[in-house]
Amino acid sequence: MTAARLRAWLLRVWVALVFGFLMLPVVVIALASFSRTSYLTVPPRGLTFHWFTKVLGDAEYLHAIGFSLLLALVATVGAVGAGVAASFALIRRRVPGGALVSALLNAPLVFPAVVVGVALLQFYAMVHLNGTFVGLAFAHMVITVPYVVRAVTASLQGIDPELEHAARVLGASGPIAFFTVTLPLIRPGVAAGALFAFIVSFDNVPVSIFLLGAGQMTLPVKIFAAIEYGVDPSIAAISTLLIVLTGVGLAVAERWIGFHRFV
Amino acid sequence: MRHGSGWWLLAPALLLLLVAFVLPVGMMVPMSFRPYVPLVGITDGFTARYYTRLLTDSYYLEIIGRTLALGFTVTLSTLIVGYPVAFFLARTPSRWRNWLTILVVFPLMLNLVVRTFGWIALLAQNGLVNQALHALGVVESPVKLLFNFAGLLIAMTHVFLPFMVLVLIGAIQNIPRDVEDAARVLGASWGSTFCRVTLPLSAPGILSGSILVFVLSISALVTPRLLGGPTYQVMSTLIYDEFLQRLNWPAGSAQALLLTIMVLALVYLSGRLARRTGARA
Repeated sequence: MTAARLRAWLLRVWVALVFGFLMLPVVVIALASFSRTSYLTVPPRGLTFHWFTKVLGDAEYLHAIGFSLLLALVATVGAVGAGVAASFALIRRRVPGGALVSALLNAPLVFPAVVVGVALLQFYAMVHLNGTFVGLAFAHMVITVPYVVRAVTASLQGIDPELEHAARVLGASGPIAFFTVTLPLIRPGVAAGALFAFIVSFDNVPVSIFLLGAGQMTLPVKIFAAIEYGVDPSIAAISTLLIVLTGVGLAVAERWIGFHRFV
Repeated sequence: MRHGSGWWLLAPALLLLLVAFVLPVGMMVPMSFRPYVPLVGITDGFTARYYTRLLTDSYYLEIIGRTLALGFTVTLSTLIVGYPVAFFLARTPSRWRNWLTILVVFPLMLNLVVRTFGWIALLAQNGLVNQALHALGVVESPVKLLFNFAGLLIAMTHVFLPFMVLVLIGAIQNIPRDVEDAARVLGASWGSTFCRVTLPLSAPGILSGSILVFVLSISALVTPRLLGGPTYQVMSTLIYDEFLQRLNWPAGSAQALLLTIMVLALVYLSGRLARRTGARA
């Protein structure tokens, strides 16, 4: 075997090991969720779907899932609306201080999430928004808007402004030209941004945990609290459901819009 | 007119950021100088004691040092583990490349609490790692991997590896293959080509990937909290306890602002460094 082929094989072995490392916790959770034991154990002893039926029959979990979905949906709609408009302004209109605006729009990505969380906790207490859905939704829009802006600006930069210009020349108004020409062209970027926003909101712990009021609970914070309370296979079961949903969602997104281009 | 419409389009996003980001973060500055009296609460007055305590008390200095040490080792380990993977994904002609990239993205999209939970199952006293080590005869009794540096390093390497790999793929793809071929034609060995051509040309990616992972690791809350518990503290878990357990908002604000300053300083310095070397990160 030549040195070059040996190197290629070593590289492949390393890559395979790292992919194994990346998938290890995922596989372990999935296995543990089928165990008959009441404590978490891998490899599983026996086979049961008990933990899945337990989690899906648990009113607290169902409420948390519903609340998380609603919050993520509202946050995504807000972030996409504000984000697409802002991206369009930054790329197509020469706004003075555009660099500063775009730095500001990206700031919530750079700031530690826990700092955003505690800052909002204090601020909402002062303006009496603490424990409200509106406050929580605003917080989630702030942390998701950068993802929308990033994906949509990337898409906008890839299309020719002359196309929209042509529509204007042919008599279309600004909004008509945007909705019939530009928006269909940047749809993959908008879809990727929306998907990012939804996932980031749905997964968030470090902001939500400081802002949830009485009777409010998101799924990740519920799992977080359950783990701190004590580990058992029902947590593995709900985690397995999330693994399957994430996997399916990602595969669909890749086939549909070539998701990896926007990461 | 065109300027005007630009601002109207920016208005919703800017208003949102003002109300739910700029103002709240700004309000932390005055809050961090207010005195907190136990059993009374936050009182009027001015004190800088939460800052002096943070920067002089050995308890806090240890936590700050641990946070930075963890950030540094996590960054280094993701770089070492991830570089060959990024190199492979950037260069492979395989038609599976996009799907392999998605496999790197998958853990990133998977709920962080779920990933951390997987590591609890792996690293516990009777977890899979200890079972494997015992079966292989490496250790006699279980190794302690939770609530300490080793466990956090392993789990956080897993959590932040995708970021490093994705940034490095982009950087390595930008290197023209001709430059490497030229070095080989001129007689350089593979090793010397890699060390003197490929590696330096991917430096912008290494820099931006490292800054990203470092910043994310020193800000991380969920993984350090669940794997470190309430005793093995880092800065973000300290802030968490200050706000939710001790209810000392002024002290927590000072800690949060220090963490923010550290993060912003790093981002700023790396930007300057990238510009000075003429590299675009």
